[in-house]
Amino acid sequence: MNTLNPTEGFETSIASVGDAPVKVDVRNLNFFYGGSPALKSVSIPFVKNQVTALIGPSGCGKSTLLRTLNRMYALYPGQKAEGEIILDGENILASKDLARLRARVGMVFQKPTPFPMSVYDNVAFGVRLYETLSKADMDVRVQDALTRAALWNEVKDNLKGPGLGLSGGQQQRLCVARGVAVRPEVLLLDEPTSALDPISSAKLEETVTQLKADHTIVIVTHNLGQAARVSDYTGFMYLGELVEFGPTNQVFTRPATRRTSDYITGRFG
Amino acid sequence: MEHTVKAFDDDLAALSGLIARLGALAASETADAVQALITRDADLAQAVVERDRTLDELEIQIEEAAVSMMARRQPVAIDLRRSVAAMKMAGNLERCGDLAKNIAKRAIVLADMELPGPMLRPIERMGLLVSQRLRLALTAYAEDDLVRATEVWTRDREVDEDYESVFRELLTYMMGDARLIASSTHLLFVAKNLERIGDHATNIAELVHYAMTGEQLVARPKI
Repeated sequence: MNTLNPTEGFETSIASVGDAPVKVDVRNLNFFYGGSPALKSVSIPFVKNQVTALIGPSGCGKSTLLRTLNRMYALYPGQKAEGEIILDGENILASKDLARLRARVGMVFQKPTPFPMSVYDNVAFGVRLYETLSKADMDVRVQDALTRAALWNEVKDNLKGPGLGLSGGQQQRLCVARGVAVRPEVLLLDEPTSALDPISSAKLEETVTQLKADHTIVIVTHNLGQAARVSDYTGFMYLGELVEFGPTNQVFTRPATRRTSDYITGRFG
Repeated sequence: MEHTVKAFDDDLAALSGLIARLGALAASETADAVQALITRDADLAQAVVERDRTLDELEIQIEEAAVSMMARRQPVAIDLRRSVAAMKMAGNLERCGDLAKNIAKRAIVLADMELPGPMLRPIERMGLLVSQRLRLALTAYAEDDLVRATEVWTRDREVDEDYESVFRELLTYMMGDARLIASSTHLLFVAKNLERIGDHATNIAELVHYAMTGEQLVARPKI
């Protein structure tokens, strides 16, 4: 096959998002676990109210990038980020108020992590950290969050039941509900469906699509079909570098670089 | 570079193989139909008509193979474009077969009609040109050759020009001798069919370009 010239193996292609409003703008981000660089001068815009998927082989830095967006890494010693992550004009790498940052930038992890408490309290827990609401207001907030996470109909009759008593797919949507209950502006999803069956995955994907109206979403996924289905923009990362970024439609039909093409078509390495 | 899943490469190779077979058949149907017409060979023409069924069957086989590959492998990027292009190529080639069959049917009728030799010369010339373009487009597909594909595409007007000149020439015969109107009309349809086969060759060149680059060639050069 002779579709690309040999130098393209080393090329990168970062498409402009044009006039689309950028919610989080990552600029020249370097990240280190101890001495070794995990992210190398990554610059990527996350467009407001759109879903951006980060794809790439294990160890490429996509989860690291996700974790810098709410400074999750600050929990661990020896980890360091350089560059800028501009959230609505403010560099969050310089931010002192991490609790407030994490209320603005919520996260859902790979494995469902419900707390050992009722469904209701799982959702209310995060809200209570940041806000003091009346019982009635909290009820509304909990119902709203569970509805957004497409879980309300399945749990509305058993809100006092244990969160851990739900199925895996429901637990993951409960975590999404807990995430959205604090009304974050940005929602980070780290392989949210890797432990779920296809039906639960589909429900979560539908949830993501609906959440777009109120949140800017960044999703890390190993499931390329999922990236193609739910995202508006896709970033392909390899060895700590952002190789390609562009509209999902383009990345999956007409990738601009050889490395992206080889990866998404299953020709890698 | 190969797919990690080798069976994917096998599927793609099988699809290309089927296209190559259908392509070779369509090209020989075209050449044989013109040959039957020129040599007034009704048997050869009949053989062309009968072979058309094989092309129809191959088209269905290719469509099924491409759909199956989309369902099972969920191709993206160049693999997706190749699958889509394969389906469309199959349609174009099957259509070439139909047009060749129509030429062959007219060759059978014309074999029994009086026909001055010079009337066939422009058709022969056009037949050669169209067959050549079709083969060139198929080679471009088989060899992933963008240069050849672009050549077929940019020289689309040659066939159109040829058609115009054949049209005028046959019209002259008809005006000169009313007894030649029936045979000339058959030849006009033959020329039109050849011109359409030329268009399909151009379509194939466009599909090769799309499969390889992801970009559509638009604004086909017309006179």
